[in-house]
Amino acid sequence: MNTHVKTPHGIQADLSRRSFLVGTAATGLVLGYAAVPGIDQALAAPSNFEPSVWYAIAPDGLVTVTCGKADMGQHIASTMAQIVAEELGASWKDMRVQLASNDPKFNDPVLGAQITGGSWSTMMNFDAMGRAGAAGRLALTEAAAAAMGVPAAELVVRDSTISHPKSKKSMSFADVVKSGKATKTFTPDDLKAIKLKTPDQYTMIGVSVPQLDIPSKTNGTAKYGIDVMLPGMLYGALVTPPVRYGATVKSVDDSAAKKVPGFVKAVTLDDKTATTTGWVVAVANTYSNARKAADALKIAYDGGPNAKLSSESLQTEARRLQALSDSGEYFVKDGDPNAAFGTAAKVLEAEYTTSINIHAPMEPMNATAEFKGDILHIYSGNQFATRSGAIAAGAAGLDPKYVVMHQMWLGGGFGRRLDADMMVPAVQAAKATGKPVKVIYTRENDMTMDFSRPLTLQKVKAGLDGDGKLVALSHDVVSAWPTQRWGIPDFLSPSVDKKGPLDAFTVNGADFFYTVPNHYVRAIKNEMAHNATPSGQLRSVAPGWTFWAIESMVDEIAHATGKDPALFRVELLDGKGKNDGGAQRLRNTLLAAMGLAGYGTKKLPKGEAMGVACVSSQERATASWTACVAHVAVAPSGEVTVKKLTVATDVGTQVHPDNIRAQVEGAALWGMSLALFEKATLKDGGIEQTNFDTYTPLRMSQMPEVTVNIIANGEKATGVGEPAVTVVAPAIGNAVFNAVGARVRALPITADAVKAAMKA
Amino acid sequence: MTNLNINGRNMSVEAANDTPLLWVIREQLQMTGTKFGCGAGLCGACTVHLNGEAVRSCQTSVSDAVGKKITTIEGLSAKGDHPLQKAWIAEQVPQCGYCQSGQIMQAASLLSKNSNPTKEEVVAHMDGNLCRCMTYSRIQKAIMRAAADMRTASATGSERRPT
Ligand code: FES
Ligand code: FES
Repeated sequence: MNTHVKTPHGIQADLSRRSFLVGTAATGLVLGYAAVPGIDQALAAPSNFEPSVWYAIAPDGLVTVTCGKADMGQHIASTMAQIVAEELGASWKDMRVQLASNDPKFNDPVLGAQITGGSWSTMMNFDAMGRAGAAGRLALTEAAAAAMGVPAAELVVRDSTISHPKSKKSMSFADVVKSGKATKTFTPDDLKAIKLKTPDQYTMIGVSVPQLDIPSKTNGTAKYGIDVMLPGMLYGALVTPPVRYGATVKSVDDSAAKKVPGFVKAVTLDDKTATTTGWVVAVANTYSNARKAADALKIAYDGGPNAKLSSESLQTEARRLQALSDSGEYFVKDGDPNAAFGTAAKVLEAEYTTSINIHAPMEPMNATAEFKGDILHIYSGNQFATRSGAIAAGAAGLDPKYVVMHQMWLGGGFGRRLDADMMVPAVQAAKATGKPVKVIYTRENDMTMDFSRPLTLQKVKAGLDGDGKLVALSHDVVSAWPTQRWGIPDFLSPSVDKKGPLDAFTVNGADFFYTVPNHYVRAIKNEMAHNATPSGQLRSVAPGWTFWAIESMVDEIAHATGKDPALFRVELLDGKGKNDGGAQRLRNTLLAAMGLAGYGTKKLPKGEAMGVACVSSQERATASWTACVAHVAVAPSGEVTVKKLTVATDVGTQVHPDNIRAQVEGAALWGMSLALFEKATLKDGGIEQTNFDTYTPLRMSQMPEVTVNIIANGEKATGVGEPAVTVVAPAIGNAVFNAVGARVRALPITADAVKAAMKA
Repeated sequence: MTNLNINGRNMSVEAANDTPLLWVIREQLQMTGTKFGCGAGLCGACTVHLNGEAVRSCQTSVSDAVGKKITTIEGLSAKGDHPLQKAWIAEQVPQCGYCQSGQIMQAASLLSKNSNPTKEEVVAHMDGNLCRCMTYSRIQKAIMRAAADMRTASATGSERRPT
């Protein structure tokens, strides 16, 4: 997490959090919530025991944990249940999960809002869930002690049973809850004072218990946003303009659409939140009819200011901005790199780029909206209920406190569902028709209107002294600013040169753990790209591009000075000064990956090689230390085949080893997919790729062997959903260089680029 | 009115002949286990069986399904206990889970004909099914596990039959 996120409004002190507001966003929205009667009460029968907002124990002994995090396949709901169960002493078979509404009482205990991302969830909820679980155990034990007439201190809690070994008496959780005697309440100070288990006492944390959501995902019963059915519901199909952002609708001719049976009306969005531009939604009785009607609409657009822009124009603009000495703001400024370059024995300079990338979760964006009395109900799988509820309110012209968000399982998130665009057509179609409306994007809508990973351009310059020591590094990062777009000041960070806030989610990772005495990182906003391709947080965000540049450059330096690139990294990770601790962990992780892959010991055929990279993703303060050795084969045509990825990651403490493996493997394959197979381009203001024929994530036949090695050294639990994404592309790029001497500096790495670099 | 046989039951639906079977299943019959992913035959999320063959329901018009036996994830087994479903749980395959109905239906059509597939046969059969969470290696393992279970079951089954 960005350390600047949590401090400004003192949310940590506010344990009730009912009063918490995210802030007055640039859009003028204040986020809030009305305690709508009937929402939470319906979930909790009066006889349940609720030691905490996070879970309830029913008289039958079932423990239902309410997860305030979006579950998009990282099984976070199950993980929360696991942490609660550990301290509560419940049996895993008694655990259930449900997804929270946007009631602020379910806000993240650290972030003070409902947002899921940054690989933050486990690390930030570990303590709160543990304390909640422990509080329940204490309350149950106290009640059981009274009922049994024995001292509470002599009781043992295990498998949902409280027993008194001396007298052989015992009571199940169900017995205690049924008795109605478990009534102890806890103030925030009481909670803080609870002594939690030490790792050696864990019986559940660290165990790969079966994920609670998995059975429902093998039989079709898990309900995603797209599966919501409301009585009397209509369907909305979108027509989105040819330009990604900035188009306006001049006219809509619905004469042909009117001939489609079941057609209700076409609604041109009037989006005061400026989340969407130029969208029209065709509403009908079924989705097929809505789609037919949408296709029959004749819409004239004004393409707006971005209608002529292309990937090339965004990149040219990025180069122009980078060349200006006064553009951007400083994220890191140690020493004086420019002066050091003047006296350096050797200076290396290179430009690294990444293309636009699309999230494309398998479940296309969708939302269902229903106005009921004063309340707007939204059903959608969303990663940022706090802000998305406010956008929905903005689209409805309501105070946000009248919006209730019903969370669903997410058919993939990857950062895409942090955004709220899908709320706008659903809300305005429901408003215009007076009926509940479910809007479903086509894959084409979903791809061309993605809040994409921005096109990035980075210039890195390195200065070496006479001994080949890296003494200076300057790093300019030019991109759209995804987080600034949210309009929530607290998500921005002050720049070190006090020029104003910067979007650290464009430069995180560039503040690495290598010791370089003169080092600066400049975050430069590409306003043109920011406007033309509103960007979002794509799995791993900034470290997905900053480490591409850094880890490629570090390799280039090593080769330029005749050193082994892996050992050169070990040298740079000396743990001096501010890098103490982190550098050593990263070094150890790198060495582990090297050993496991047989780096430098395996003899490989011609055209094959290994390459390494190591990263401190996601953020300096919350890093999971991750290293990768990629083994590639490069054909004379330039085609790259990844034969094996060996990933090692130091996650501190592992709650669920099997889940960590699944996440790290998925993340590593994402990294590979972004490195080799995924590329979106802008032309005439629009994204050219529309479906999985032209935007082509990795398929089963392209999968290499992947080995994931988890290092759990007892440090605090860190996140695992993203870091491995960031380490793979540079490892592959470096392996390609080692195999055939071709240095490719643009992602994705194409066969043409490799071939061209082989010749060069 | 169009009459369909779906998961062993006869149902009649009102839909134009060219309506994709996918939307009839999802909306009219409210069986939402079958998913929409691309609408273009490119991802496999919408896979169902027609007379035991895996087809993309987004590319199948409802009229083409008339007179055939349609099977969806809801009808693959009585209690969600098809060997593939059990293997999917044993291997803890799903992440977001959205692609998995399609993956399981696609895999089921392979195992119904070939209960001892090679890894290459599995990849060739499954390559049209995208998983954005990249659960591919677990999908492979689960298919192999289910195939082994099915072989064991039929071996013990045939041993028992004579008695
Ligand atoms: S939805 Fe049918 S193949 Fe993708
Ligand atoms: S499990 Fe998420 S798409 Fe396959």
